[in-house]
Amino acid sequence: MESARMLVFNQLETYLYLALMLFAIGLYGVLARRNLIAVLISVELILNAASINFMAFNRFLAPTPAVGQVITLFIMAVAAAEAAIALSIIVAVYRKLRSVNIEQATELRG
Amino acid sequence: MNMMLFGPELYFLGMALVLFFLSLQRRVRVEQTYYVALWLSVGGVVLAGWCLFQEGELFFKAYKVDLFSQIFKAALAVGLFLVLMISRNLAHVEERCHPEFYLFLTTCTLGMMMLVSSVELLTIYVSLELSSYSLYILVPLRRGDDIDTEAGIKYLFIGAVSSGFMLFGLSYIFGATHTTYLAEIMPKMGQLIQNPIGVVGLLLALAGFFFKVSVFPFHFWAPDVYQGAANQVTTFIATASKAAAVAMLLRFAALGASFGYSFAEALVVLSIASMTLGNLVAIIQKDFKRMLAYSSIAHAGYILMGVLTMKEAGYISAIYYALAYLFMNFSVFLVIHEVASDGRDLKIPELAGLWYRSPLLTMTLILGIFALAGVPPSIGFTGKLLLFTSAMSSGYFWLVLIGAVNGTISLYFYLRVVYHAYFLEPGPRPKIHLSWPSRLLNYGVCGIIIGFGVFPDRIVELAKVAARLVL
Repeated sequence: MESARMLVFNQLETYLYLALMLFAIGLYGVLARRNLIAVLISVELILNAASINFMAFNRFLAPTPAVGQVITLFIMAVAAAEAAIALSIIVAVYRKLRSVNIEQATELRG
Repeated sequence: MNMMLFGPELYFLGMALVLFFLSLQRRVRVEQTYYVALWLSVGGVVLAGWCLFQEGELFFKAYKVDLFSQIFKAALAVGLFLVLMISRNLAHVEERCHPEFYLFLTTCTLGMMMLVSSVELLTIYVSLELSSYSLYILVPLRRGDDIDTEAGIKYLFIGAVSSGFMLFGLSYIFGATHTTYLAEIMPKMGQLIQNPIGVVGLLLALAGFFFKVSVFPFHFWAPDVYQGAANQVTTFIATASKAAAVAMLLRFAALGASFGYSFAEALVVLSIASMTLGNLVAIIQKDFKRMLAYSSIAHAGYILMGVLTMKEAGYISAIYYALAYLFMNFSVFLVIHEVASDGRDLKIPELAGLWYRSPLLTMTLILGIFALAGVPPSIGFTGKLLLFTSAMSSGYFWLVLIGAVNGTISLYFYLRVVYHAYFLEPGPRPKIHLSWPSRLLNYGVCGIIIGFGVFPDRIVELAKVAARLVL
């Protein structure tokens, strides 16, 4: 029992499926949610899915240079910058529309 | 010597620092800030031209300086200079934001310059994000109605999702090849031909660039952002940003060369979808910038024709077209800026009787529109000719046929603009007075559109050398 569990956690596929699931959840969130904050969280999920992929590939396939880990660190930093910009624009939207629901923003069409 | 390799980037980094300190001032001196930014950008153009024939590698081979990258860096510097030339009158940006406006234009140029030189996945990602984030901030800088923040939020989220796609794709490429250097990935791509992870990874990774060039599945932002952003920002997105994205697309798509059929086939579908959608929807547009947005989606489809051939001829034509597109699109935006000098969105009927109000602007408009539509002897015709012949010689007959039909459809809405400008009465609208720098700019752009359309040899020669470096 114990060894079987270890086997699952010591396989590349487990992490790839986990990342794929996170990616799918994030994509669904982006498409389905109407709240801007929720959309932002979903985008972060997509980025985290990519991070998990990089870490998993780094751990199981290309362990010597820690490239995957470095990339993950960069993704974290870049995602933080992105969240800062996104939140500031969301605040601007809120000031104008008094709402963070994307369906309120329908001036531009055609 | 080593400094010169990184010269243009260092220069623009310094320029960004200067502008950053100017933005810290409590009271903004609008005139002074503008001239500082303008003259610094002139210096940038000179330096980028000076560094045109530099060659070398930097930062553990993650950064490649060659003719291909230097051509695009020069084009980006020229693009920034042109946009600053029409930023004299920033009617729709608050005065205290002017230094920041120039600052983010500069950081965006810096990011794109690094993008065209990077040959390593992480470097590509970080420089792409540097340029995107600057644009995300520039779009909502417009004041007035609510449309700017709406455009900003749409741009941000579509951009963020596509860069998430790209990153996910890059992770598969990394997993399949165990390296992040394009030069090392290239030979390993061939082994992955049976493996779907390669195709999926590459297509997902291309999403980030498709977003930048507004190819079909990632085009939704273009019309809203073109309309919602200030005219100058739209000009920058439509000219410099496009050129940089095409450069990176070329470098990246070369990875798929060994895939052959299945990868090219996917690009054929995207190319046809973008040009057909762009041209058909452009017909019904009333807002000029919105129409140009759909036209840019169509042009992304045309450029993809050159990319997907994966041959030297196709790459030459794509490079030529990207450079040509910068100038022809700029000429149209120059007219928009002069006619709508208070920064409003220009509706096409407002162009009525432009021949009476300003003959020079009308000449620029008609040359730009003819170049976009691909009428000889403009630069756009030569570019389209090169693209179509390269796709034809690679055996994509149907693609070329659909492209030609699309070109004919596009004539309708392009000529409608010319019709408004030439054949309608101006009504009560006053004459437009042009300042002498603006006149000079008009003549210059017209000269380039005609000149390089009739004598494209020198640019094609340069593009040929550059294309060999990438493939």
